[in-house]
Amino acid sequence: MPLLCMKQVCKSFGKVQANQKVNLTVERGEIHALLGENGAGKTTLMNILYGIYQPDSGSILMDDQPVSISSPGEAISLKIGMVHQHFMLVPTLSVSQNITLGIKERGYPFTDRKEVDRKITRVSREYGLDIDPTAIIEDLSVGVLQRVEIIKLLYHQAELLILDEPTAVLTPQETENLFAVLKRLKEDGRSIIIITHRIAEVQSIADRVTVLRDGARVGCDNIGNVGEARLSEMMIGRQLDTAVRETSHQNRLNEAAVLSLENVSLNGRNVNILSKLTLELKPGEILGLAGVDGNGQKELAEVIVGIRRPDSGKVLFEGNDVTILGVRKRKRIGMAYVPDDRHHDGLILDMDLSSNLILNAHDQPPFARFHFLNDQVRRRHAEQTITDYQVKTPGVGTLVRYLSGGNQQKIILARELDGIPKLIVASQPTRGLDIGAEEFVNKLLLAQRDRGAGILLISADLDQLIKLSDRIAVIFDGRITGLLNNHAGIDLAEIGLKMAGVA
Amino acid sequence: MRNQVKILGELGSMILIAAITALVGTILVLAVGADTGKAFGAFFSGILGSFYSFTEVLVRATPLILAGLGVAVAFQARFFNIGAEGQLYMGAIGATWAGLYLPAMPLYLHLGIAMMAGFLLGGIWAVIPGFLKSQYRIPEVINTIMFNYIAINIVGILVRTVMANKTSPLPMSPRLSDDLHLPFLADPTRLHAGLLVALVSAVLVYLFLYKTTWGFELRAVGNNPRASSCSGISVKKTIVISSLISGGLAGLAGGSEILGVHGRLMEGISPEFGYIAIIVALLGRNHPFGVVLAGVGIAALQIGATTMQRRAGVPASISLIIMGLLVVLILGRQYWIKSRST
Amino acid sequence: MDTGLIGILTALLAASVRMATPLTLAGLGETFSEKSGILNIGLEGIMLSGAFFSFIFAYYSQSILLGLLGGCLGGVFISMIHGYLSVRLNVDQTIAGLALNFLALGLTSFFFLMAFGRTTDLPECPVVHQIAIPLLSDIPIIGPAFFNQDPFIYLTFLLVALCYVVLHRTEWGINIQATGEHPRAADAAGISVSGTRYRAALLNGVFGGLGGSYLTLALLGFFMENITSGKGYIALVVVILGRRHPVGVLMAAILVGAAEALQFRMQTMGFGIPSQVFNMFPYVITVLVLLFSIGKNRTPAALGEPYIRNNR
Repeated sequence: MPLLCMKQVCKSFGKVQANQKVNLTVERGEIHALLGENGAGKTTLMNILYGIYQPDSGSILMDDQPVSISSPGEAISLKIGMVHQHFMLVPTLSVSQNITLGIKERGYPFTDRKEVDRKITRVSREYGLDIDPTAIIEDLSVGVLQRVEIIKLLYHQAELLILDEPTAVLTPQETENLFAVLKRLKEDGRSIIIITHRIAEVQSIADRVTVLRDGARVGCDNIGNVGEARLSEMMIGRQLDTAVRETSHQNRLNEAAVLSLENVSLNGRNVNILSKLTLELKPGEILGLAGVDGNGQKELAEVIVGIRRPDSGKVLFEGNDVTILGVRKRKRIGMAYVPDDRHHDGLILDMDLSSNLILNAHDQPPFARFHFLNDQVRRRHAEQTITDYQVKTPGVGTLVRYLSGGNQQKIILARELDGIPKLIVASQPTRGLDIGAEEFVNKLLLAQRDRGAGILLISADLDQLIKLSDRIAVIFDGRITGLLNNHAGIDLAEIGLKMAGVA
Repeated sequence: MRNQVKILGELGSMILIAAITALVGTILVLAVGADTGKAFGAFFSGILGSFYSFTEVLVRATPLILAGLGVAVAFQARFFNIGAEGQLYMGAIGATWAGLYLPAMPLYLHLGIAMMAGFLLGGIWAVIPGFLKSQYRIPEVINTIMFNYIAINIVGILVRTVMANKTSPLPMSPRLSDDLHLPFLADPTRLHAGLLVALVSAVLVYLFLYKTTWGFELRAVGNNPRASSCSGISVKKTIVISSLISGGLAGLAGGSEILGVHGRLMEGISPEFGYIAIIVALLGRNHPFGVVLAGVGIAALQIGATTMQRRAGVPASISLIIMGLLVVLILGRQYWIKSRST
Repeated sequence: MDTGLIGILTALLAASVRMATPLTLAGLGETFSEKSGILNIGLEGIMLSGAFFSFIFAYYSQSILLGLLGGCLGGVFISMIHGYLSVRLNVDQTIAGLALNFLALGLTSFFFLMAFGRTTDLPECPVVHQIAIPLLSDIPIIGPAFFNQDPFIYLTFLLVALCYVVLHRTEWGINIQATGEHPRAADAAGISVSGTRYRAALLNGVFGGLGGSYLTLALLGFFMENITSGKGYIALVVVILGRRHPVGVLMAAILVGAAEALQFRMQTMGFGIPSQVFNMFPYVITVLVLLFSIGKNRTPAALGEPYIRNNR
């Protein structure tokens, strides 16, 4: 008798079918991988199981009993626990307060904190997950936060644990530790669903795998029965031509750097976000920046393009000190920025496509003369862009909000590449995109490199970095901990250790 | 086809809102035991009963449109300017000052300068909270409200001290010279050129918001300040500029009331024009032409309600209820439209 | 001369506490609301409605207790509309609050006129009287201010303590804080975000309504159009200055109350200065204190943001 059985689950958001008649069965004491591309519907399915979304149709059985889970509270009482990709922890509360959030411990509402803290320490020792129950969440690092999330589930005595892309924020070594913990939990008889899009992970940890594509289940099998090639074919729907990276390598390495950072430091509230960071980027190369999210990558990008001022150090562009220039001026002399957060940093969702395309140059001819906008030029420019970049949109007047992620990213790329930049800072440029859009972006970046632009590619996805970069720099805690030439025999373990700041 | 359905839906919801408001209005009229026929007769004859009554609506609409334009500009930049009332009073001070104390000069020049003084003082009164928000993130909602009370008290102080009329015990400034008056548009009514100023302002605000780079930046910042700054638009500068223009327009409303209606500075020249302007901006969807329509509509509602009070004994505060209700219903309608489109 | 100064100080402090009471009460309610993530500019409307209904209930029943009940109901009426608009319809909370201020002003003026007509002598309702607490009220200066007041004020002190315990010493307070800081996390932990916010709105109505009742049932003994005249807005400031901490709210309210008390004092002393100069005091002080609190405030991360669970 399986622990969980989801049958014919359907869910749509507006016109988008996120789940179509999905079946999922999880046995007791197994690690079950839910594999699929970004946007395949994995998270939606798990959010339904956790009571965050209600399915349009379909049923859920636990221990063969039909259940209806209309809120996370009900999921918790069914001993289901979930670690979300974006952690669900309240930054101003302590670890212990977060762990007991929503449950009524002895003495409620005057909960006995000391007793709770003791219990937390006991649970954490049992699984080797060290934690200080009195620490405040906002002072903790990402790796520790994940530990808190897992302890939370153990504290709640969850029988079915759902982990959504748990390794995205971890170094390879931390990932190994996590997997060891998961195996121990399995041995204790708990069931685990792990959401991922990384096939290697599935093979190293899962017992069985269910593959989703475009919201539908394409298959389910024991891990021993399917090889890597088969899994990738199921996930992507066709065979992946393993892209061979053609190095431009490049007789340009002797040329003057397009960007150099000299001892750049940036102070946060209590911590140094960037400390004395030095880096050089040549024209015509892609420099990949590897690192676990939150080690200063975003701030580094913003210092380079002028959104933030460093507290000390210099930013040189083609040998000229640009440290005090604003974003506008830097973009005008040949910098481009593809931000990681499209919706907040890159686009104005409630303005139309044509306006978003001229955000950098709206006050420059031909878009404006004497501060008067030229609507016709703007429209024609937008139409041209739609053709050049194959943007799928009803028209140039459509609000960007209504475009798909891939098309939104095309708008940003079109805008940023419009001035034929000499330096491109691309932060997670393919995050959340489907395979097609991802390939489009990758090709575009390679073409820009071949044209002679220097590209700083920031990505949490090592595969992408290895596929595209000429050199790879590793960032940890605001410092560059390593700089490697990318070649066929590049040592992944070494990068991993540098990402953790160990080597 | 899809568009037509959408437009029909919007039209339908607007009609529904109008119907609900009318229904509530009727219930309230019935509640006070007034004769509905007589009450509504009074309401409409107050608005359209005669040419004179209609010009009165327009006289009332003038400051509402100007201050409403000011609020709309600020709201488009997501600067929650609740301070149009204070800015209006400061504008009135500026216009009165320029009218009383500047040396003799050609009439139209003097009028122009007096209006500009109104714009300037109103603008300054809004720029202070604007600056504090952009520079120090002090919430503008609270600050602009406090500035309203301070401005009203400043008027009270001025008309009793430095700007007092020495020949009268009443707290008011001396009268501006009879010539110094915005031209009347339709003798013998009170309709004055302030209306033209309001309409021209609406056109200028439209051009500013939608046809200039500054307006583009203002709307960009209002929609997403973070993305705007990431592409090099100065959010701080934009908020300061938008607060200046916003306050200036409200100041123009004050100037127009002084130079077109009262002829002197005194307390209470604004029966909450500045607060009602917020509703005007909201009903006009922060679009300059929408504001003109909404300004006339709200003015008609108020004039009609006053007439209804005079002739049928229905308290004029019914117009406040209707206004509050309208905003609540329109907010609800936005939810309805949003939840249907996803 | 010495006793004269002490006498003035004593009277001034006592008046400050009285002026601070409605602001404290309304501020406590708004603290709950804002901590849970709802910014309610409609506090003015809540207080006005509370003042009106407390007067109506007290006037017709001649009972102060029923007056209090009426005040709470009146406040809850407005705050729950705001709650519904913010929690269920996810509308812009600032605009909704402003609209409700208009609505409350219109409704109270309309029904007051309807019930009592246009009269010059305002109808009066019973008021509470001061009760001296033995011994404590004999302490110089602070005795009369804190221990020779009406029961309303003692109730307020009690409520400040109670709110402190609830917000800072219980799981309820943690749940409210979680809802205002990270509603998605609260939801994932099984806390009902909308339930928590509705309860906070309810408390906001009760407290704000009590604040409004204080004006009619303690300070004035009558009702008139727009009787609150901006007190609700000042209460919002008190919440910011008090950093959303019950004791802080009380302190801030006494500070602003002192400015108000000083204003009355100065007016009666007659310096030949227009009273408007003193009228400005509370507002100017408010702006100044806002200036000095730059950067020290931490607002709940989700304040004013609707929470939509199904949002992807």
